[in-house]
Amino acid sequence: MSLTPSQLTALRALLDRVIPADDFPGALAAGTDNYVLRQLATDCAEEASFLLLGLTQLDAEALARHGPDQTFATLLSPQQDALLADLAAARPATAWPAPRAASTWFHRLVDLAQEGFYADPANGGNHDAASWRMLGYEPGTTPKPTAP
Amino acid sequence: MTTHHDVIIVGAGLAGGILAGVLAEGGRSVLLLERGRALAYSEIPGDHLRNHRLSLYGDNTTPESHGHPRVFVDPAGGEHSVLPHDSRYQLNAFTVGGGARVWGMQAWRFHPDDFRMATRYGVPAGSSLADWPIGYADLEPFYERAEHEIGVAGDHSGTTHAPRTRDFPLPPVSRSPSAEWLARGADRLGWRTVTPPLAVNTRPYQSRGACIQCAQCIGFACPTDAKNGSHNTLLPRALATGRCTLVTRAHASRVLTDTTGRAVGVEYFAPTTVDSATVERRTAHAHTVIVSSGAIESARLLQLSASPLQPHGLGNHSDHLGRHVQGHDYPIAYGLLPPDVEQSFLGPGVSVATTHFNHGNPGVIGGAMLANDFVKLPLIFWRQSLPPDTPRWGLANKRAMRDDFRRGIDVRGPVQEIPSPASRVTLDPSVRDTFGLPVARLSGTTHPETVRTAAFMRARAEEWLRASGADRIWSWPGEKKFSAGQHQAGTCRMSADPRDGVTDPFGRVHGHDNLFVCDGSLHVTNGGFNPALTIMALAFRTAEHILADQ
Repeated sequence: MSLTPSQLTALRALLDRVIPADDFPGALAAGTDNYVLRQLATDCAEEASFLLLGLTQLDAEALARHGPDQTFATLLSPQQDALLADLAAARPATAWPAPRAASTWFHRLVDLAQEGFYADPANGGNHDAASWRMLGYEPGTTPKPTAP
Repeated sequence: MTTHHDVIIVGAGLAGGILAGVLAEGGRSVLLLERGRALAYSEIPGDHLRNHRLSLYGDNTTPESHGHPRVFVDPAGGEHSVLPHDSRYQLNAFTVGGGARVWGMQAWRFHPDDFRMATRYGVPAGSSLADWPIGYADLEPFYERAEHEIGVAGDHSGTTHAPRTRDFPLPPVSRSPSAEWLARGADRLGWRTVTPPLAVNTRPYQSRGACIQCAQCIGFACPTDAKNGSHNTLLPRALATGRCTLVTRAHASRVLTDTTGRAVGVEYFAPTTVDSATVERRTAHAHTVIVSSGAIESARLLQLSASPLQPHGLGNHSDHLGRHVQGHDYPIAYGLLPPDVEQSFLGPGVSVATTHFNHGNPGVIGGAMLANDFVKLPLIFWRQSLPPDTPRWGLANKRAMRDDFRRGIDVRGPVQEIPSPASRVTLDPSVRDTFGLPVARLSGTTHPETVRTAAFMRARAEEWLRASGADRIWSWPGEKKFSAGQHQAGTCRMSADPRDGVTDPFGRVHGHDNLFVCDGSLHVTNGGFNPALTIMALAFRTAEHILADQ
């Protein structure tokens, strides 16, 4: 299952608000989008159609709230955050497949983003251990070389 | 293909490896069957999404994700076919060494009163609470032996809940600053604390190196092989005798018995060669058979082995087989360290505990040991340990992670569960494994007394954080649920009288002179402690009994 260009744009814009950059890298700099895409193709394949549907719906939400020339990615950050807070609280402006689907969908993507961002770098969403550096966490499983 | 042995052991977990070591060194030829593989450190990935502390999409030891489901029955009666990494599966690692390949190493002796719960507290309605047919004194020499032959690091003078005569072979783990802070808090309350006994090489021992205090301990294999179990102690000793044959990827399908009830061998499926995808059916014959597959699979195998003499499963003459499933309810109180207390990311992390509340608590039955936690993975912290009012996304969440990961502290403990006969393992009537055998069906729920004791212990955990000076404290109420997990126990309970259990006080299945069970299944009750050292002590005791008797 592959994403349309507009779904991919919406996903990246969403991840940038779920884990924004500040003094430390956010989701996009850490490659968390790549982690989510890989999960959609593998472990989360059964959920993928619902998750992609939501990405399309995200642009519909932007349009319904801010006019026909807007997509989620073109909104200002505060507008994006307000929209996402509404979805999280199950207050969509458009019709989703079920009463709480918008909230379920958003929280599932939050989970996916956070697990990619805070997991080990080999999972692809925490490039260069960006999140671990922020936290001061190191697995420390490599024995320190002893002095000769 | 048919082979002949003195003893067949089904399962090379913590108990199976000990049984193999003692019996092979005692001169017996041993066939040790293990459904998983023997994994090198490099074959147990350090994957933070797939391990035995957090298994979102898989784990790091299970040989195959499909083909061996279990059926979980929810409280409303809904049936779910679940895969190993699903928490409802109640997985313990399927690999040589079992759960001890990836465990947290807490190696506690049970409290003497843990063996006499019914006498001390009476039997609550709806429960199957009972005394063990043996007491602490019967196990004491074998606790000591396990501590020395497996390798436990502990504080001899501080471990006061259970009388002991000989010091631990290894010095206790060092206390982190936050553990010292908790110890001072306990002092203010008048609660004695102890550095928990851990089966870890705090210094080189038995030809293996010391722990390097990594921050990826529980749920993972050890980079320096300092995490002790039978896989790196008794099992190598067994193999060194030349009398122990270990067959991996071997799935026992049936214990074979004759018309008198004697076990004659085991039927199993195994690859034609060690790495082959082709599986063949084999039969092995032996003088003695020991089932050591964990409380769920041991009960299942005895049920799969029903005979004309025992149509409901071997040892099920009195309808106890598969019942009384127990694990541990685990109340947790969370808090934030004050800014002046340094967080340590040096593993393993568990370094302060109290046994002040294991017994004698007003109005509740039993209790629990309480301890601090292991060094947490960042993702586990994100999922479980942020203050409850923290937003789950956005800058506020990221900043809370940045600030609170260095301040998170929690206290938790394994509450002694009150067994219920309705909490059980049966054979599912419809779902089959890859060999066509009925899978384990898990049903039932915690006894209400367990929930009451857990609520009491949750309050004590909060009290400890409060007395220590935590900035914020919070916790979540417990609930009734099917409880087994990595501490699974109880399904083949011991009893002096055959009417009261599945095995005799040595683990011998009532009515079957040469068939034994040896794992947490035997536990009549599961203590208010991590159960592994008791499983180990029973394994030494059963093995010595077989050497003397069989």
